[in-house]
Amino acid sequence: MKKYLSLLLAAVMLLSVVSFASAEDARYLGVMLYTNVMSLDTNLATDGDSFEVIADCIDGLTQMDADGAAIPALAESYDLSDDGLTYTFHLRDASWTNGTPVTANDFVFAWRRIAKEAGEYAYMLDEIGNIKGAAAIIHDGADPATLGVRAEDDKTFVVELDVPVSFFPSLMYFPTFYPINEEFYNSVGESYGTSPETFLSNGAFLLESYTPGAASFSVKKNPDYWDAARVQLAGINYQVVGSSDNALTAFRTGALDIAMVNGSQVDAVKKDAQLADRLTVTGAGYMWYLSFSQTEKNAQGGKLANKNLRLAITNAIDRDNLVDNYVMDGSLATFTAVPPQFAASATTGDDFSADQGLFADYVGFNPDKAAEFLAKAKEELGTEEFEFTMIYGSNEGDEVAKVAQAIKEDVEDLLPGVTINLQSMTKAERLDKMQNDNYDIALTRWGPDYADPMTYLGMWITNNSNNYGFWSNAEYDQLIADCTTGAYITDYDARWDAMLKAETLVMQEAVIAPLYTKANANLITEGVSGVDFHPVALNRVYKTAVIK
Amino acid sequence: MSEQGRNGAAAYVPQPGDFEFLTGRDIATDKNFSSLSYWKGVAIHFFKDKKAVTGLVIILAIMLLSIFGPMMNSYGYRDIVSFRNENNRKVVAKGIAPRIPAVHELFTGEKYDDDFADLTFFFGTDDLGRDLWTRTWYGARVSLIIAFVTIFIDMLIGMSYGLISGYFGGLTDQVMQRFVEIANSVPRLVIVSVLAIFMPKGMGLVIVALLLTEWIGMSKIARAEMLKTKEQEYVLASRTLGARNGHIIFSQILPNTIGPIITQVMFSIPIAIFTEAFLSFVGVGIALPQCSVGTLIEDGFNNITTLPYQILPPIIVLALLMLGFNFIGDGLREALAPKLEDM
Amino acid sequence: MTKYVLKRIGTALLTLLIITFLLFLLVRIMPGNPFPSERMSADMIANKRAEMGLDDPIPVQFFNYLRKLLLEGDFGNGTSLYYGVPINSVLATCMSNSFRIGGMAILIGTALGLLLGITAALNRGKFLDGFCTVLSIIGVCVPSYVFLIFLQYYFSFRIPFFPYFFDAKRFLFSSVIPSLSLSLFTLSTIARFTRNEMVEVMDSDYVHLAEAKGLHGGSLVRRHVLRNALIPIVTVLAPLIVDLLTGALVVEKIYGINGIGKLMVDAITGEGIDYNYVLALGILYSALYIGIMLLVDILYGVLDPRIRVQGKAGDA
Repeated sequence: MKKYLSLLLAAVMLLSVVSFASAEDARYLGVMLYTNVMSLDTNLATDGDSFEVIADCIDGLTQMDADGAAIPALAESYDLSDDGLTYTFHLRDASWTNGTPVTANDFVFAWRRIAKEAGEYAYMLDEIGNIKGAAAIIHDGADPATLGVRAEDDKTFVVELDVPVSFFPSLMYFPTFYPINEEFYNSVGESYGTSPETFLSNGAFLLESYTPGAASFSVKKNPDYWDAARVQLAGINYQVVGSSDNALTAFRTGALDIAMVNGSQVDAVKKDAQLADRLTVTGAGYMWYLSFSQTEKNAQGGKLANKNLRLAITNAIDRDNLVDNYVMDGSLATFTAVPPQFAASATTGDDFSADQGLFADYVGFNPDKAAEFLAKAKEELGTEEFEFTMIYGSNEGDEVAKVAQAIKEDVEDLLPGVTINLQSMTKAERLDKMQNDNYDIALTRWGPDYADPMTYLGMWITNNSNNYGFWSNAEYDQLIADCTTGAYITDYDARWDAMLKAETLVMQEAVIAPLYTKANANLITEGVSGVDFHPVALNRVYKTAVIK
Repeated sequence: MSEQGRNGAAAYVPQPGDFEFLTGRDIATDKNFSSLSYWKGVAIHFFKDKKAVTGLVIILAIMLLSIFGPMMNSYGYRDIVSFRNENNRKVVAKGIAPRIPAVHELFTGEKYDDDFADLTFFFGTDDLGRDLWTRTWYGARVSLIIAFVTIFIDMLIGMSYGLISGYFGGLTDQVMQRFVEIANSVPRLVIVSVLAIFMPKGMGLVIVALLLTEWIGMSKIARAEMLKTKEQEYVLASRTLGARNGHIIFSQILPNTIGPIITQVMFSIPIAIFTEAFLSFVGVGIALPQCSVGTLIEDGFNNITTLPYQILPPIIVLALLMLGFNFIGDGLREALAPKLEDM
Repeated sequence: MTKYVLKRIGTALLTLLIITFLLFLLVRIMPGNPFPSERMSADMIANKRAEMGLDDPIPVQFFNYLRKLLLEGDFGNGTSLYYGVPINSVLATCMSNSFRIGGMAILIGTALGLLLGITAALNRGKFLDGFCTVLSIIGVCVPSYVFLIFLQYYFSFRIPFFPYFFDAKRFLFSSVIPSLSLSLFTLSTIARFTRNEMVEVMDSDYVHLAEAKGLHGGSLVRRHVLRNALIPIVTVLAPLIVDLLTGALVVEKIYGINGIGKLMVDAITGEGIDYNYVLALGILYSALYIGIMLLVDILYGVLDPRIRVQGKAGDA
């Protein structure tokens, strides 16, 4: 018995020695993912983590610089026609990892495929990019060949638009617009993107190990990348860490070089002299807000259609309390319908929502005003008692349940007669309830898909599928139409002002109650630098990352 | 029987009425101990057992605390302890470790150095700034209900189902066991989500969810015990004497299988308490800011690296609850099946 | 016996079919969208649903599903989880991870549980017995993921011996911590049942007789006591085996294991309800459960030859 025991011990020791040795040779960057990568196929991916890994491995026409501006990638340069409707991209010499050169046809194939499959992000082609023919293919099943894209020759890719889109080049770094090699895709078929063998890179990294649903996988440096000289990292080890509580300890063991910690841990981290230096707060982009259903069938016969009642609620919520005491990860209390720090004007460089006090008359923590609005609402509705259910997702982050409870306390405290019952549910059910207009108040969020205020403002037009409150305002609809397809599309500054006017309408009527703009509290190992964090499109870019 | 028949040489001839079937007569009462009713004996036995009484005291103490504990300070279970500072920012008493200022001062001669120096929190506060003492005992209410419901489900449904299935065997057993397989195979999350469409979410739904599946483990134990016991001689004897099936199952076999059944009840209690917590997490159980021991343990777990004390009170309450039930269970088993002792 | 087993396998297949149909119906009633989207317009979603055959009458859908499953062994593609990726490929990895870690947990839990239970029973009323009671109560009160965090903290962080996260390349080594923590509930249950059963058996007449005949020590425990105590132990162990093999959500989440416990919850609680994953995992779980229950029924007869599951009481 003893003999076996010592043998076993020896075996275990040997195993550990071997394992430590193998971890030492090439230093990969250990990066935490919060959820599993859902798909590496640009047509199927819908989440930020998937987009990040796709962008590690595939380059688009443009790429993001450290500040989020579009700089050339596979397109060395582009020409824009005078009417602003035709982009001609000139591709540089680059190749896929199987040796085939990247050609204009790879883009034509990938874009047509997105339009034909009409998936989640197909709307980037028609609604956002306004590419000629896209809407007909996506909605009416027209021939994908009618999409307004063509390969003039191997190195010239031409895109035709219906209307000028001022931010079109910055759309090009979004993975939906990345190329796929047609020949390779056809050779692997349905299994495309499910393993290193069925995935083709042309970017900074190539897939080293991956299976769908993997909790850990890795990418390594692509030696044939057109800009390989700029890439310093040997590779990246991705590790899915479902509990952020665990991320902190994992970071301290050295298993992770970049970890995201939750609010309560940020407190602990700040008290630890060593760790405090390692903390970097970056914008996560998405904004949490309350959506109010204004239809007859919800909220006691459509009580929330009353503007003053909504204003009363939005003025009773102490957003500073939410971010100071419950979210705590550096998230910003938000008082505008478009969150700060993601959309800057191309002409002035000013942040669209830099002035958070702009709508102080309609939103903010203001008990007196809240009481006034409530009194008006009670008079108009002839009711003294209101009871609403607020739904939130129990699996959408550690802080959500806390925020929901804090809002309930604030509202019930300051608005006598108003009761808010909390109802937690899975995210799946929350979305289902909102999409079927079967809720009173919902705690929900939206992340920007592109760096323009329209990614938020576009949601509140009549009949938009994300207009979960069913608010409708003709003036607003007209303003948005003018900005997207009408009068202001060629006048950048006029468009900017019109969007501000539209935002004012949203805030005056408290269509939504913005709460806070999420940030990520990252811990980054000493010596690691050059990782770019962005609130839009690609959350992290490692092309210039260095480990010292 | 005639006088002549007894004394005379004439052969015995059975007459109608000489014998009778025992069916219908009271054959359950043990005449040897007829001066003491069975249950009275059990009670005497039970209360003589020190462990059993300790268990009873623990459970009663938890029940009393769950009723009166929340009243022992001024905090409500959903009250966030806070004040507004000079900048009109809210300062919340969150993440405070257990403290009794008077005791602290007595030993260290110092006051606590923070904004809530004078407040007493026996178990500390949670990450929202609520008093954990109040919440723990408030949560114990929910979990006690769950515990008793589980005992009820196990003893009534699970046990009967298993005993009947095992006793009759054959086709009855086949059908009943296939039903168990079907009932057990639908994932709980699926069945509960579907149920939630038809009835309001909350405690009621949790109890229905427990009713649907929690009896299965017990039924398997009871069936196994029945299979083992039913072939024994005394069952055959009972049957030969004409006892009815119900009598054999519940009065003859049950007392002899009570051991594993009680053990199984004990183990299904924490499972049910954690099931409730899971159901509440996915939103079909109790709604926040209400709580239960199970949800408090989950909350504590979510903060285990930053507020490690937060998980202790609910875990200790659960452990005490289990210890109490276990002691009672052991006592009951020995009292119900007296062969274990020197009777 | 063979006839009985064949009959049972036959009914098992029928039961499985009923379960599949039931699941098929239930997931379609569940709230949540099989094809969730916040960015697609209503007509696009309708097209996707039609493409997936979700607008066909339920019997037609069910028939198509069965045909694909039985003829091609194909569980279909994910709809909301790992959308568009064949389920079989995901399932294979997850199953192998969960089965192996769960299997280790069962072995550890059963072995240690029996050991602890027997020790306690043989030292009835003494310190070791009380120790065993307390240990098994702690084991069922403290969730396995709390043990996991504890083990992970001390043996992967403070003493960095084991890897902090699961690593499929070093399977055995990195399964030690999750298997140990998962085994605790089984260990506690088995220990408690073994102890109580053995105490009861040791008080029975035939053990007293065996003792009177001079049997004692190990052979008495093995031959007479343990064997008779095994039936309830096997009965409680069976569902525990199924649960452990089919994965544990929180443990998988914390230790970074891609296993089926997390897969199931992701399929239900992600952005939508993934019909195909729920079905595939449900069928897998049922098949396992039914199979193990059959084994248990056969085992009863082996453990105690008087038991005949097929027969009726008194038929003897």
